[in-house]
Amino acid sequence: MIEVKTEQVLDALRKVQDPDLQRDIVSLGFVHDVRICEGNVAFEIKLTTPACPVKEKLEMEARELVLKIPGVEQVSIKMTAEVRSHQTLEKENLKKVRNIVAVGSGKGGVGKSTVTANLAVSLAMDGAKVGLLDADIYGPSIPTLMGMQGETTVRENLIQPKFAHGIKFMSMGFFAQGDQPLIWRGPMAHRAVEQSLVDVDWGELDYLLIDLPPGTGDVHLTLVQTVGLTGGVMVSTPQDVGLMISMKTLRMFEQTNVRILGLIENMSYHLCSHCNGREEIFGHGGAKLASERLGIPFLGEIPLETAIREKSDLGAPIVISLPNSPVAKTYRDIARKMAAQVSIAGYSGSKLEVIEEPV
Amino acid sequence: MSQPYQANPLSENFPLPRELRKLGRKELKITWQDGHLSVYGFRYLRTQCQCAFCVEEITGRKLLVDSCLPEVLEGMGVSVVGQYALRIDFSDGHNSGIYAYKHLRKACPCELCRPAK
Repeated sequence: MIEVKTEQVLDALRKVQDPDLQRDIVSLGFVHDVRICEGNVAFEIKLTTPACPVKEKLEMEARELVLKIPGVEQVSIKMTAEVRSHQTLEKENLKKVRNIVAVGSGKGGVGKSTVTANLAVSLAMDGAKVGLLDADIYGPSIPTLMGMQGETTVRENLIQPKFAHGIKFMSMGFFAQGDQPLIWRGPMAHRAVEQSLVDVDWGELDYLLIDLPPGTGDVHLTLVQTVGLTGGVMVSTPQDVGLMISMKTLRMFEQTNVRILGLIENMSYHLCSHCNGREEIFGHGGAKLASERLGIPFLGEIPLETAIREKSDLGAPIVISLPNSPVAKTYRDIARKMAAQVSIAGYSGSKLEVIEEPV
Repeated sequence: MSQPYQANPLSENFPLPRELRKLGRKELKITWQDGHLSVYGFRYLRTQCQCAFCVEEITGRKLLVDSCLPEVLEGMGVSVVGQYALRIDFSDGHNSGIYAYKHLRKACPCELCRPAK
């Protein structure tokens, strides 16, 4: 009987690299609770997101490497996840919100809200606690997409977010009745956004996604001044005038030092429902090219599909209403890539605070 | 993990602080990620305010007359704004300015930075 030592197990696991964080899983502190009983080895791998794109790969590698240790007969691995906080947010109610991600676009009509809703639900389907704030004061569409309209309630001085498809959400649309527009000057928009961040009972969240209005304006400014964003994601269509318009939003993130987590190309191509032929209505690949040129991660491309629109209008995002469709898989994949970028941001970000020194 | 926060590949030359220290009510000390050290008196910072009361928004013309400020001007509080700036509460009650790190670095009063202007 060969005795297996904890150190041997850890040494073997040091060979497993996280491809995104580019370090081994032991020094990253992912490995917990190593237990050895004769030939049986059990341990836990705690990832930084339940939506990890390489979860299966890491588990397989770890298993194979530990099985190679002489004397090991059986390996049981428990895969868990704990999303790390990007920064401590001073605002009391956001203390338990670990990461805030803003989703923006250069112009309207690129399907940003549909993308955001599907990403939020995707993350929740992977087991994360997710919130979604619809900060689009011009065309708040999240209530329709999530299939829940109407006013919000207030409990203990906090606005209660609505809950559907596994996520909590709040919308600027809840401040207006029916088809009434929100005709707000800057200060009103500022107050409304601040309130939906600070005065909403978000509770504990791994990710709070914010659906921004198109372009750059009051809402964006309020957001970057009120909270420390983990990062921003850009949605664009392939043409977007050579991404010139999207560049403006990217520049805004730059000027306010918000990390760009990645670019998503929406309405990337159209698969004909009759002949299955692929048509590139707005051209194709513009976002991918731009991301390569700018050195920004490219998160994926989503086709123009009638089913996405139909499910959205019915208030059930396609990732949950048609979970086995190819486009749902695309969304899930993009959400995981985004989660990976959030984890990277969490590792490389340092938070600043003012140290008071009495003189 | 004190890696400089490479926030954004678009912003290669974005100057970011590594450490922010408020020395009593007199001075603000910023150690930048490139190692540079900036020490600002709060009265000087008050003259650098970029808010719409102190600088005309469209032309960028300075409206604030430095000599009209009280002789003794202290910093009551400094807080971080998002990921790119500071907000300062001055003893004259002014606090509407947002001091972007980029601007603060440009306004560094040290001898190395001064002649460059």
